[in-house]
Amino acid sequence: MIIRGEVCVGCGRCQPYCPAGAIHFSGLKSEVDRETCLECGTCLRVAICPVDAIMDDPTAFEYPRAVRKVFSDPTAPHIATGIEGRGTEESKTNDVTGRVGPDGVGIAIEVGRPTLGMGLPDVQKISRALARAGITEIEPCNPIHQMYADESTGDLRPDLMGERVLSAIIEIEVKKDRLPYILRTIKEVAKEVDSVFTLDVYSLLGPDLEISKEVLAALDSEGFPWRPNAKINVGLGRAWEERRAS
Amino acid sequence: MTHSLHREGTIDSLERDYCVFIYPARGFNYADSAPKIKRLAELIYTCGAANFCPTTLRENMYSEVATPEEVLASIQKDGTRVYSTWNNPEKLKQLLIKMKEADEGISIVVSGLIDRVRVMAREIGLNPHTINMSLGIHGRTELLPPADIRQFTTMCGHAMVAPGLVRNSLRRMKTGKSTAWDESIVLAKPCACGIYNPYRSEEMLNDLAPVYAVSRW
Repeated sequence: MIIRGEVCVGCGRCQPYCPAGAIHFSGLKSEVDRETCLECGTCLRVAICPVDAIMDDPTAFEYPRAVRKVFSDPTAPHIATGIEGRGTEESKTNDVTGRVGPDGVGIAIEVGRPTLGMGLPDVQKISRALARAGITEIEPCNPIHQMYADESTGDLRPDLMGERVLSAIIEIEVKKDRLPYILRTIKEVAKEVDSVFTLDVYSLLGPDLEISKEVLAALDSEGFPWRPNAKINVGLGRAWEERRAS
Repeated sequence: MTHSLHREGTIDSLERDYCVFIYPARGFNYADSAPKIKRLAELIYTCGAANFCPTTLRENMYSEVATPEEVLASIQKDGTRVYSTWNNPEKLKQLLIKMKEADEGISIVVSGLIDRVRVMAREIGLNPHTINMSLGIHGRTELLPPADIRQFTTMCGHAMVAPGLVRNSLRRMKTGKSTAWDESIVLAKPCACGIYNPYRSEEMLNDLAPVYAVSRW
């Protein structure tokens, strides 16, 4: 984002709105620190500037800086998913898509959340650890998939290593019997990242919202307490289009 | 949107904080989904959501850009997703009853306390299909803003509510420049997905304000 110095009146109203804390006074005017800015567009979207001094940085749409916008601005659609945001349909449509079946567990690692943002080398640290653990298939519909140079090693494209984004989600699926090992891997690599990540798992439910015993046992054995709130697909969906080829 | 399951706060506070998503599946039930989604979104509005937003606008109820009628009218496109927040479990239950009766075939997701949703599903006769559980935050958690600020910032599904804005709201309340409700609307405005709960935010601002100290100057 850019604040046009010749227009800015230095009221500072935009500064607290920046999730990355990238707007500061420079003399009597507000200025965006280009390195810290994640191009999320919040300062522009809330229309707080009384003189319309805030505008998109033209270079924000040029590669590689464009990845900041794709992974930070929720209104920016990604070419891979066709939808805005950083994730895919995940568990939200699992009653229709059957993406994760009775033997599987979906795992989402949202790097940079909550709040902090992250440099893309953090994603690479995690994806390399997962690759060493035998996870070499990242959800192909997730925007992050296009950033990989080599899925078999977890390496991202080298030209992206200097970029920061608000967050990116590594989505994988494992068999239930592999869940303890993968959770252990994630716990180990957490010591190496320079930011934070939120971790979640999703699986099918039994009658009366019964959570899979195998999943609970894995969480228990690997020391991962789960929060009392969760996202629950209540099972009202059904398909009416011919199922697309995978 | 993954983040609604990572909303933080006390159990007591989360008792009055649920999200509901209308989510068509690409390649499975996108085609001709617009009228069905619109009918479901009308249920969200008439049942009394605390906040809601369709992806056609990316502006929530407090963005001051469209009336609720205009928001509903904007749902013309197949595949539109609708996000909403609920501060009253009874209203949420009524919504789910009506959604079940409507039987539009679009996936519905409820994000909230597992035990409460279990009871609600049992009473309504729903058979929940999939659960997405939060295993918390990992890595350099020492860099995070404190938990009392995170209960506000995690209410936006895409982290658009800045910790600095929450502190600014507390400062404005403490110095008598604004009220908890008005500041909750300020905090809701950046949320592009409509799941910031301004009612819960108002309660939390009132709870927190006494424990924060600010310089009047």
